[in-house]
Amino acid sequence: MALIEVRGLTKTFDLKGPDQVEALVEVNLDIEVGEIFGVIGLSGAGKSTFIRCLNRLEVPTSGTVVVDGRDLSGLGREELRGFRRNMGMIFQAFNLLSSRTVAGNVAFSLEVAGKSQSEIKKRVSELLDMVGLVDKAKAYPAQLSGGQKQRVGIARALANNPKILLSDEATSSLDPQTTSSILALIEDLKNRLGLTVILITHEMKVITEICDRVAVMESGHVVELGPVLEVFSNPKHPTTKKFVDAVHSSYERFMVPEFKVKGKLVRILFMGDITTEPLVYNLIKRFNVEPNILQANLDVIKKNQTTGTLIMDLSGDPADLEKALTYMSSLNLVFEVLK
Amino acid sequence: MILTANKLILLKISILQTLYMVSLSTLLTSLFGVPLGVLLVITRKGHILENKILYRVLGIVINATRSIPFPIFIVFVIPLTRFIVGTSIGSTAVIVPLTLAAIVFMARLTETSLLEVPFGVIEAAQSLGASRWQIVWKVLLPEAKPGLTMAVTITIITLISYSAMAGTVGGGGVGDLAIRYGYQRYQTDIMFVTVIILLLFVQAIQVVGDYLVRRFTRK
Repeated sequence: MALIEVRGLTKTFDLKGPDQVEALVEVNLDIEVGEIFGVIGLSGAGKSTFIRCLNRLEVPTSGTVVVDGRDLSGLGREELRGFRRNMGMIFQAFNLLSSRTVAGNVAFSLEVAGKSQSEIKKRVSELLDMVGLVDKAKAYPAQLSGGQKQRVGIARALANNPKILLSDEATSSLDPQTTSSILALIEDLKNRLGLTVILITHEMKVITEICDRVAVMESGHVVELGPVLEVFSNPKHPTTKKFVDAVHSSYERFMVPEFKVKGKLVRILFMGDITTEPLVYNLIKRFNVEPNILQANLDVIKKNQTTGTLIMDLSGDPADLEKALTYMSSLNLVFEVLK
Repeated sequence: MILTANKLILLKISILQTLYMVSLSTLLTSLFGVPLGVLLVITRKGHILENKILYRVLGIVINATRSIPFPIFIVFVIPLTRFIVGTSIGSTAVIVPLTLAAIVFMARLTETSLLEVPFGVIEAAQSLGASRWQIVWKVLLPEAKPGLTMAVTITIITLISYSAMAGTVGGGGVGDLAIRYGYQRYQTDIMFVTVIILLLFVQAIQVVGDYLVRRFTRK
C-alpha cells in the first residue's frame, strides 16, 4: 500500500458570480514510502492546491487523500492537528515568525506540540545543528539570507519528527546555487531520517536534481507521470516537452523540420549505462558511415543516472547505412529515424 | 506670568483627573479593544474562525458607535454609565463613555495591524498543528506587536483629546480646565499652561510609543 493515495481529487474554487476555477480535476496518484516525488507545472496548473490538499490546508471539493491508511476527510479538528505534526511543510515565502529568533521559530513547532521547556531546548539545538545554523540561533529572520531562512523553515518543519515533508515551491525564490544547497540538504535529510518528500516546483532542474518520480500538471490534470529519468529522457506530453526544453533547447523540435539531410537523420536516446558505449567510433570504424553530429547533450538525473540525446546525420553507402542501423537496434538504446 | 496658589491647585487636580481618566480607560480599552480587533480578523472569510454573521454584526456595531460624535455619545450612554458606576457625573463616570468609544477605535486599529501579518505565516502554524488559540497567542499578536503598540499610542492620544470633553458631565481634567477657565473665563494664563501641559503629554506618549515600536520591530 502506498504511503499517500490520492483518488479522484477535485478542487473547484468559486469566484464572484457564476464563475468557477477547476484547480484540480480527478487527480489520481500514489506516493510511495521513501521517495522524493516531484510535481511540476506552470503557475495556475493546480500543483499548489494539490500539495495543500495533502495536509488539508485546502479542503478538496471531492475525492480522497489517504495518508498512511487514514482518510483525511474523516479527521476531526483535533485529530487533524495531531496528524499535521506527522507532515512538515516548507514554503516559497519561508513564512517564518519575524518576531522570533531562529531558535524561537524552531521552538514554535515544539511549543505547539506541547513539549516541555527542557525538551524544546535540547531539540532546538539538535535541529539547528542538523541544518547548519547553530551560529545563527539568536538572529532574527530579517537578518538571514534566503537560503538560511529556508533552513530555519526546514528545521521547523522537521522538529516533531514527521515522516513526510511537503515542499511548496521551497526553492523558487532562491538563486541557483542556494537552490542546489537546499535541495542537497533535503535529500540528505530524507536519507538520514527516512522521510518521504513531496515537492512542487516550476523548475525542471529541481526535478532532475533530486526527484525519483515526477507528475506533470496542467490545468488541474496530471498529464504525465513516471520516473524522472524516463519522463525527462522521453517526454510525451507537449507541456512536459516544454519543461525539458527549458533545460536545454531542442534541436530536434526547432531545427529538424527545415534541415536538409545527406543520409538518414537519426535521434538516439541514451539512458543509464549505455552512455558508455563508444557508438560513434563503432559507426565509423566498423560500418564505414559518416556521422555528422548535429546535437548532443547529456543530463545527469539525481547525480548518478545519465540520459542523453544525440542527433546525427548518418551518410554513406545505403548497404552500410542499413548495417549501421541494424547494429544500433541490437544495442539497448532507443533510436528513431527522423528523416 | 505667575499663577496664583489657587490656580496651581486647580491645575494639579486637573492633571491628576486627566491621568486617572486616561490611564484607567487605556487599560480597559486595551483589555476589550484588542480581543474585539482579533475577533474582527479571525471571523473574516477564509480565516481561522470564519463566521459571517458575527463578523457582520461586529462591523455594524463598531461603525455605529464610531459614527456618534463623542460629546453626544457621553450623553447617549448615561443610563449605562449610571448602571455601571452608580452615577453619571464625575471623573469615574466619564471613564465609561471614554472606554466604550475608544474600544471600537482600538478594535479597528488592532484589525489593521493584525491584517498585516502575512496569511502564509498563519498557514505555516496550521501546518505544524497549531490550534486557533495558539495561532492568536503565538502568531497573530506577537507578529503584530509593533502595530499594536502604535495602536495603543494613538488610542492614548485620542483618549487625552476625548477627555477634554469630560467637562460636559463634570469629569474635570486638563482639557476641561482649559475650556472652563481658559476659554469661558478669559484666563489666558490657564489656557496657555493647559495647552503646554497637553502638548507635553501627547509628545511624551508619542516619543515613548515610537521608541517601543522601534524596539519591537524585527523587520
